[in-house]
Parts: sequence; structure tokens; C-alpha cells
Amino acid sequence: MLEVRNLHASVDGKDILKGLTLTVKPGEVHAIMGPNGSGKSTLSNVLAGRPGYQITAGDVLYEGKPLAEMETEERARAGIFLAFQYPVEIPGVSNMEFLKASLEAVRSAQGKEPLDAVTLLRRAREACQHVNLDQQFLKRGVNEGFSGGEKKRNEIMQMMLLEPKLALLDETDSGLDIDALQVVAKGVNALRSPERAIVLVTHYQRLLDYIVPDHVHVLADGKIIKSGGKELALELEQKGYGWLTGEEESA
Amino acid sequence: MTPAEQLKDSVLTLAHATQRDDTLTSLRRHAVEQLKVLPFPDKKQEAWKYTGLHALTAGQLNQPATMLQHSAQFPALGDCVIVIGNGFLPAQLPDLPAGLSATTFSSATPSDKSISDEHPDTLFGWLNNASLNDGLLLKTERNQKVAAVVHVVFFNHSDTPCHAANRLQVELAEGSELTLIEHYIGSGPILANALTRIQAGPNSRITHYRLQSEAADTLHIGNLQIDQQRDSYVDSSQLMRGNVLRRNDIHVRLLESGAELSMRGVFIARDQSHIDNHINVEHVAAHCPSNQIYKGIAGEKGRAVFNGRIHIHPYAKGSDASLSNNNMLLSRDAEIDSKPELEIYNDDVKCAHGTTVGQMDAAQLFYLRSRGIDEAKAKRMLGTGFVNETLLAMHDDSVRDWAIDWLGEAL
Ligand SMILES: Nc1ncnc2c1ncn2[C@@H]1O[C@H](COP(=O)(O)OP(=O)(O)OP(=O)(O)O)[C@@H](O)[C@H]1O
Ligand SMILES: [Mg+2]
Repeated sequence: MLEVRNLHASVDGKDILKGLTLTVKPGEVHAIMGPNGSGKSTLSNVLAGRPGYQITAGDVLYEGKPLAEMETEERARAGIFLAFQYPVEIPGVSNMEFLKASLEAVRSAQGKEPLDAVTLLRRAREACQHVNLDQQFLKRGVNEGFSGGEKKRNEIMQMMLLEPKLALLDETDSGLDIDALQVVAKGVNALRSPERAIVLVTHYQRLLDYIVPDHVHVLADGKIIKSGGKELALELEQKGYGWLTGEEESA
Repeated sequence: MTPAEQLKDSVLTLAHATQRDDTLTSLRRHAVEQLKVLPFPDKKQEAWKYTGLHALTAGQLNQPATMLQHSAQFPALGDCVIVIGNGFLPAQLPDLPAGLSATTFSSATPSDKSISDEHPDTLFGWLNNASLNDGLLLKTERNQKVAAVVHVVFFNHSDTPCHAANRLQVELAEGSELTLIEHYIGSGPILANALTRIQAGPNSRITHYRLQSEAADTLHIGNLQIDQQRDSYVDSSQLMRGNVLRRNDIHVRLLESGAELSMRGVFIARDQSHIDNHINVEHVAAHCPSNQIYKGIAGEKGRAVFNGRIHIHPYAKGSDASLSNNNMLLSRDAEIDSKPELEIYNDDVKCAHGTTVGQMDAAQLFYLRSRGIDEAKAKRMLGTGFVNETLLAMHDDSVRDWAIDWLGEAL
């Protein structure tokens, strides 16, 4: 589904990813861990097509097609979803209006009928319920004044409505209490299926108790320096990253 | 001749051409005398630094507008509609809602102080007086709430360049309430010279809209003067899209204590259009709050100017004034010049002002696009979101819904 080969990428002229290789197959859940500043969000942003993030070498293929040739919105329509580490506030644009525009765009690209207003509202309300967000949040500006946890839940709500094939979750668990963490995990697990893949960026093994990964990778200084099974996450939690990077403990 | 001399020449010729014998003769004559001595707009003056009047060389000042034969098309926003075409009042005014009376300037008694005391505060205001065909005078009755929304439509149209004086005067008696929509529509190279005065009597309330939706080839130079007496409340919204030349001078005087002003506006200058808003709020008396929120957007080669002056007089203790003007540029060639001016002559005031000019937020744009929304639509959503905050603060649903669509079209 996703094939990243020897990816080099830079942001504003600064090299961040330095030869990253990663293969994600349908049905799999991958966890990416690593010290602050190692390039985890950069990878997510490159995959989602954020302007300013340049692929300088290597390949990224999504369902066999080079991602670099697809616009940001085309990637979303083709089933890529990024849950942002820091979701953006958009005052003046209501969450509902945003969800409607997004669902319309993605569904029509996938050849699905647009949802009528009643169905759309019902689905949005159900999605709110799933992530424990009051329905009032549909009326508010996108993420406007939401708490950190509410923003993260809003991301998961969007994911549930858009039903992506490849979901990238950038630290969706950070800053959540245990209850909210379970809500997020429930949302992600509901999405798990043999056709879909999930990439979780996280600092905490805690999330992986609820969403059990097939593979765990350590990203440091723009490269994946170690991969393993779910037990690697436990080992990292005990030992930190120092034994892998040869530096002092940082995370 | 310098451009200012040329302008003066045209203005005086026009003013002379529009003189005639009727009940408004002395009003016009007096204005002509004023025009002879007043300074004319010139790029060297701060107030005209960013706005040139070269568009008027097409000849708008050479010809007074003539009466229109066809009727206007406009959305139904109010309950009581009065249409004024090229400055000519309808032969018969419609039935008015309870608590409101209407007269024309020409039929008002010559002793009606409100008209003979007219003292416009801009040059074009004086030209409005000097060339006035007729004006509409609306008066509320004491302690009456006018239940119907009054929609005054100024329809200006001509296929050739000409000048139309549009005139409205509103007097709110003590304790009365009114919702008024002033709506400018039309097309062609006509200059709408629009002067509106609102006098808010003690403890009166007005919800006022000034909607400027003429076609892009029409010109508009407007002057809005609001005088507020004790404990009056004025809520004024000014919405406009750009055209060849649009200039508004808004002057509010909070003359007695407890008067409160809430003003907001949205201006969108796309393509080659030009919009200039000069606003002056004077806190003359003590304990008056004023709050102003203006939002501007310019795209392509559009140009907007915003000058917001707050003047707090020595006796205006306990004044609470705020002004914000945030602007968004949609292209490299677009330009918005925003300048707040504060003049404060006593210490006991609360005054906040801020202006910003920025691009559309790249992170917001990426967020929308990452959810499958195409770039053009995402930009439209962000532009609409930027102004919606201001539109949602407007009280009347019909105006608000219309404005959201109408301004949305320009984004
Ligand atoms: N716009 C930018 N310009 C320059 N450097 C940047 C830019 N954005 C990110 N970086 C740098 O790139 C490096 C990787 O950042 P990235 O956000 O990918 O790290 P991360 O692994 O997600 O960290 P964290 O765990 O803190 O979220 C950091 O050193 C960061 O400072
Ligand atoms: Mg990060």
C-alpha cells in the first residue's frame, strides 16, 4: 500500500529525512517512535503533501503510484488521512461546514453519491458520539478554542467519517487522559480492516496496549534505525532511545 | 491646470448647471458658495493620499443624471421599500409603518431646521447639497418602535458618465427604534454621490445597514454622518464590494453621555477595484462606548484603504473606544493600506486599536486540502470564514443570509 524507499526530504532547505525506508501493507498497523525532532512529523507531512516539504531523493509509492505527482487534496481523495499532531484552528468556518465540504470532495472522487443533509448530520452526530464530543462542536469553528484533547478527538471523528485507506496518526495520543486515549483507540480499532493500514506516531507505549501494532520502528535523525514487533515498544519504554542512537537519553 | 483645479472647475460647473428655483434653492446656493472656497482633494492631502480621482476624468462631473425610465432589480430585504432612481424621489411615497413618517426635502417646510441646518463635512457632501435634486427625510415618532424593516434602495444607472446626488436624512425621536437598510445598486459609469445623515435622539436605537453592491463600472463617493445624543444606541454595518472607485467618509459624533456605537464593516476589493474607507469617531461627551470591527480582503490588483480615526475630546472622560481592522491579501499584486489614528485629550479613557494585513494562512489552507477540499474551494472557505465572524454579528437574518451569499460570490 505504501512503499517508502530511501526517502530524503527537506523543509525550508533543511535536510530532515535522510534515507528512510518503510513498507506498509494493507491490514497492517505500524508504530513509529523516536526522539523529539527526529523527523516523525516531517514524514507525516511529506506523505500528506504539505507545501514546503520537498522530496530531494528516493521514492514514495502509494498503491503503486508516485505520491510526489499527486496534489495534497488528491492524496486525501485517494484515501490518505493525516491526523495532525497540532490540529489547526479555523475560526469562522464551522466544523459541520468543513466536514460537509470534505466528505463531498472525498466521496465524489471515490464515485460515491453525496450524502443528503439529513444523513450527513446523522453520521456526524454519530461520529461525535463515538469520540465523546458534544454535538455543539459541530457548530463551532473548526478546532476553535477546543482543548488539546478535544482537537485530537475531532481528528479521529473526521477519520471515522472519511474512512481512509491509509491513516497516519501523528501523536494523536499525546496529552490525552486514559479515558480519551481509550476513545481514540476505539476509533482506530473500528477502522482496522484487511484493506486498511494505520501508521501511528507515538512517544508512549501506553497507546500500543490498546492498539496492538504489527510493527514498531524507531526513527532517529531522519532514518529508521531499528524495526521489530510490539515487544520493541516495551523495550524502548524501559531503556529509552540512548542504547540505539548512542546518545544520552532524551525522550 | 492641476488635477485639483480641474476638479474644482468641473464641480463648480456641475453645481451651476443644477441650480434652479424651488424650495431647495437656498440650500444649493449656499453650498455653491462653500465649494468656491473649500480646498479640493489632492494627493498631497493625507485623506486623499491613496485615492486618486482620475477615474472622474471620464466626465462624471460634466453631467447631472436624468430620471430613470426602468425599474430596479433587488433582493427583498425589508418590509417597506422606497426606491430612489438617480436621485429622483418617487412621485408618491409608499405607505409607511406605524411610528415612521417620510417626506421629501423639497416638500418639507422651509423652516424645517434639520434641512436648513445641513452642514456636510466633506467636499462631496457640499457638492451633494449644491446639486441636490431631492432628498428623503425619515422621522420616527417618540417612544415608538417601528416594527417594519425599512429598505431604501438607491438605484443609480446611466450608460454615459454622469453624477447623481443621493440623499437620506434620518431623525430618530427620543425613545424610538428603527431598522434601516440603505442599499446602493446600479450599473454604468455613473457617480453615486451619497450623503446620509442619521440623528439619533435621546435613548433611541437604530440598526443600520449600508450595503454597496453596484456593478464594478459604477463609482461611489459616500458620506455617512451620525450624531448621537444621550443614551442612544447605533448599530451600523457597512458592506461593500469593490468597483472603479469607492470612497466612504464616515463621521460619528458621540455628543452626549451614554451614547453607544457599534460599527462593523466588510470590504472586498477584487480585480482592479478600489475601496477607501475613512472613518472618524469622535467621543465628544463622557462615558460613551464605541466599538468598531472592519475586515478587508483584496485580490488580484485590488486596492483597499482603511483609515480609522478615534478622537477623544478633553471632556470625554470614561470613554471606551476600540477599533480593529484585519485584512487579508489574496495575491501579490493586491494592496491594503490600513492606518489607525488616535487622538486622545484626556487620561481617563480605555482605548484599544489594532490593524493587521496578512496573507491567507498556509497552515489553515493545508489543513482543508488535506481533507480532500480543492485549493480554490479551500480559499473561498477561508475567505468566507474570515468575514463571517463579522457578518454573524449582524442582527437581521435576511440581510445576513443575503450578505453571506453576496460576499461569498466575491471570494
Ligand atoms: N519549517 C521548518 N524549518 C526548519 N526546520 C524545521 C521545520 N519544521 C521542522 N523542522 C525541524 O525538523 C526536525 C524534525 O522535526 P519533526 O517535527 O519532524 O520532528 P518530530 O520527530 O515530529 O518531533 P516531535 O516528537 O517533537 O513531534 C526538527 O529539528 C525541527 O526543528
Ligand atoms: Mg512531531
